[in-house]
Amino acid sequence: MFVLSIIKDTIAILPANFGVLPEQALISEINKKYANRVLHDVGMCICVFDLTEASEGKVRYGDGCLWYKVIFRMVVFRPFASEVILAKVKSSDEDGIRLSVGFFDDMYIPLSYLPQPSALDSNERAHFWLPDSEATTPHELLESITTDRMYIDQGEIVRVRVEADEFYDDEPGPPKASEGVAVKREVRRAPYSVICSIAEQGLGPIPWWKAAQVDEELMEEG
Amino acid sequence: MEVLNPRASFLSNYEVLSLLRELDNDYLSRAKTAVRIKKEEDGAGVTGKGGSDPAAVDISENLRTVEVEAIQYLSADYQPIAQQSEAGIKQLTRDLAPYSLTKAEKLQIVNLAPTEPVELYVVVEELEDRLGEQMDDILSAVRRSLNAPYASPGLSYSERSHPPAAGEAEVYREEEQGWGEEVYDANEVIFDDTGEGAGVEGDLDMDDE
Repeated sequence: MFVLSIIKDTIAILPANFGVLPEQALISEINKKYANRVLHDVGMCICVFDLTEASEGKVRYGDGCLWYKVIFRMVVFRPFASEVILAKVKSSDEDGIRLSVGFFDDMYIPLSYLPQPSALDSNERAHFWLPDSEATTPHELLESITTDRMYIDQGEIVRVRVEADEFYDDEPGPPKASEGVAVKREVRRAPYSVICSIAEQGLGPIPWWKAAQVDEELMEEG
Repeated sequence: MEVLNPRASFLSNYEVLSLLRELDNDYLSRAKTAVRIKKEEDGAGVTGKGGSDPAAVDISENLRTVEVEAIQYLSADYQPIAQQSEAGIKQLTRDLAPYSLTKAEKLQIVNLAPTEPVELYVVVEELEDRLGEQMDDILSAVRRSLNAPYASPGLSYSERSHPPAAGEAEVYREEEQGWGEEVYDANEVIFDDTGEGAGVEGDLDMDDE
């Protein structure tokens, strides 16, 4: 789920930090700029792994900073497609389930990636799976006996497979004169989101597969 | 800013956790030192010297946030990391070498440490056709790798910032421990993409279509 990315950038060191070793000062500046941020088509940056290469610091006209050209390796959160990871259920709604791994929570399981047949119990605010059921419509499913339902509750740890990831760059461009100064509020999309699936044997809440594991498998295949 | 290689190599969760713990301890020991220096200065009546310690860099808020949250996630009790050790993982990667597993599959076995057949099913595609009887060997290799007791990497690091009043012998012992655990060979378990398994990533990407 973590990868190393090699990135090149020009970093300025403020005169106040000239007393620090250049290497330390650079790492601290890079972390300030990148840590906990999403890089488009790269992933979510965690922290600097190490510096690969750095030029001599140069002073430019206009400020007292030392500018370094640096090549460094960054630890990035970017699970690959088909990777299996553990995540916590953050919330459930009509569109599916939202997951979290603590430092990143734009992870979703859409309805189509839930084990079938399943439905949303609006009283519990949780989706449930009804194994070996003939029912297909949500209406029929909600009439089932509660004890047969296998709920995916909030806060539960689920094993999920990453199906896809999406990057959006929604930064607005400069305002056009013809449009005036009217501020339009658009729905903000997460810059990086991960689509996951639990519609497979072995995926879903961990207790499903720990207890009575053999029976489950037989039932599934039968 | 220019991205030279968005995915130079894979990192295992264990490696990321050791790196973050190191950062965290570094931060804590620095915070302690800062407090101590301030106390000493107050005690000596030095005031108005002003300015921060020239040898200290400020730690940005965003780094602390992601660091603490990631450590929390990686060391949660549902993760196998608590039972893993550097030596255990090295041994595990060696044990997995003879099986025809792809790089990505090996990485996930290290990260998730599957000990039940059903967990291995999820990670390895077409498990039965490809490995058949060898499945149990892999599971027992994973189990063996987990037995090693967990020595948290770099944990004693912060302990070294004891006041100098502490006994000489004690300081020495701590230093030894600190170094022993601090040695961190990044190249050992890195899943480098340029090796023999090169091209695995391409296969993975094809699955998307």
